[in-house]
Amino acid sequence: MLRLIDINRRLGDFALTDINLEVSPGQYYVLLGRSGSGKTQLLELIAGLEHPDNGKIILENEDITKQRIQDRKIGIVFQDYAVFPHMTVFGNIAYPLKARKEEKNSIKTRVEKVAAAMNISHILERNTEKLSGGEMQRVALARTLIIAPRLLLLDEPLSSLDTSLKDDLKRLLRNLNKSGQTIIHVTHDYGDAISLATRVGVIHNGKIIQEGSVDQVFNNPSNRFVARYAGIRNFFRVSIAGENGSSYGVTEHNVRFRLPGVISGKNRLLLVKNDGFTVSNVMPENRELNVFKGRVTEIIPSEFGVELTIDAGDIFYKSALLSDVEKLNLAEGKEVWIGFPTVAIVVLNGN
Amino acid sequence: MILSAVVLLFIIAPLAGMFLHTGGSQFLETVEDKEVLQSVWLTIWVSFASTLIFSLGAIPLAWLLARKNFPAKNIIQGIIDLPIVLPHTAAGIALLGFISRDGILGKAASTLGLDLVNHPAGIALAMAFVSLPFLINAARDGFMAVPERLEKAALNLGASYTKVFFTISLPLAWRSITTGFVMMFARGMSEFGAIVIIAYHPMVAPVLIYERFSSYGLNYARPAAVFFILIALIFLIVLRLFSLKRKEKFISTDAQTD
Repeated sequence: MLRLIDINRRLGDFALTDINLEVSPGQYYVLLGRSGSGKTQLLELIAGLEHPDNGKIILENEDITKQRIQDRKIGIVFQDYAVFPHMTVFGNIAYPLKARKEEKNSIKTRVEKVAAAMNISHILERNTEKLSGGEMQRVALARTLIIAPRLLLLDEPLSSLDTSLKDDLKRLLRNLNKSGQTIIHVTHDYGDAISLATRVGVIHNGKIIQEGSVDQVFNNPSNRFVARYAGIRNFFRVSIAGENGSSYGVTEHNVRFRLPGVISGKNRLLLVKNDGFTVSNVMPENRELNVFKGRVTEIIPSEFGVELTIDAGDIFYKSALLSDVEKLNLAEGKEVWIGFPTVAIVVLNGN
Repeated sequence: MILSAVVLLFIIAPLAGMFLHTGGSQFLETVEDKEVLQSVWLTIWVSFASTLIFSLGAIPLAWLLARKNFPAKNIIQGIIDLPIVLPHTAAGIALLGFISRDGILGKAASTLGLDLVNHPAGIALAMAFVSLPFLINAARDGFMAVPERLEKAALNLGASYTKVFFTISLPLAWRSITTGFVMMFARGMSEFGAIVIIAYHPMVAPVLIYERFSSYGLNYARPAAVFFILIALIFLIVLRLFSLKRKEKFISTDAQTD
């Protein structure tokens, strides 16, 4: 469907570097990156608003690198919607059809149809100035979808919507994708990625640093940055030691991890995934676990409960439910045991 | 406070004094004076035509200045502002050399049987020369206030560059352009220095006032001056109405998105 081949683009201090990316028909591709990572620039290159310094953009086996914006039939919905302020909602949605000099009656029917699908039929005659963020979003989406784009590009479509609108729009996007629309969606929110994507790419400092299915990316983060995205906060720099056919990682504070399998190399970075990570008042008995004794140093309220900080020589983080806090009678200063299986540990290169 | 009042008074007092010194009968006489009416009418339509014709080139130029980066853009911007700082008589002299029969434009015009000197067309050129910066700068600011993102969105939706210009850029910058248009028109109307060198006749209102003053004296020139000031005031009020409403509220200017 879409292939980006060795795309480079320099913009002042920032550069998109060696971007290679492939999106197949019907895919919901989520490009995950922090602000300033280059994700919007990449979308603008695909849409033709900007041009790469070198590299190729192939869409449906056709080289469109040099094709003009207006001939690409790639729809883009901007983060700020870019709804035309001097036109009504109808005028906005009809704009692409008018630009193609379509017949008035057919314009009307088609606008009404897409408006119904987007649930904005009731605001067609309104000025755009007083629309809410969610309505603007739908207008922008309707205006783009009316030309049946070969590829739909979405720039942070969920970022400025409140939670209930977010769920509505997610449902809408999912249905759109199910009906065959190929979508590339850029976002900084890995929750969006998990709930929508059929494939995920992570972009950092202008480079795509990992790509794969949602499971692949979040269960096997290829580096610390991707891991952070997966909500993993427990990282440890260790030196590797071997003993009786097993490998151990030892931190500078002498915390000793039993590692999955035999690990070569000297200095490595460990990350401990959240699954199977337990906190308890008594020492866990399972020998397969890594077990440490520590002290709760901080309990901070978070979105879903609390965030515990536990000092066991090195600092561990663990999110917990409020009910767990009560059950274990947790308080700052209290001694606890933490445990996790060796398979929760991912060993990365030391840099 | 007091100083501000003094400055204001300095602007108001001479004008008020002039109005007070002009008797009603004198004023009515002037309003019915064919020579005065003709010159006022000439001033208005020539300035209007000059503004209209030059806007055809000035507005696209303003768009280019607002949107595109090209070599020597700063120099071009400087050239556009040049007429504002030139003494207008000097501008008139320069222009005369250009449009008299020995000049490039003059030669071209005379092959068409047109003598630009002492002709409304010459007056229009003189007016445009000194007043164009007002339109170009206002229109440029107007285009700059249009978020570029909207133009890009329109292109993405399949509109051609021309279509985008006429359906997005121009309508959104329209108020600034109109303000610039009125400013250029009003500035052209009040021009004296450049015009008097190009065309003493036919007489535009500022030249007529000067002529009456130098031939017949203050009392004779005053009613014509009052009449013309009243006309100019009307345009000033129109201009103010436009600029008061000039709250161009668009969506955030080309938002920082990444």
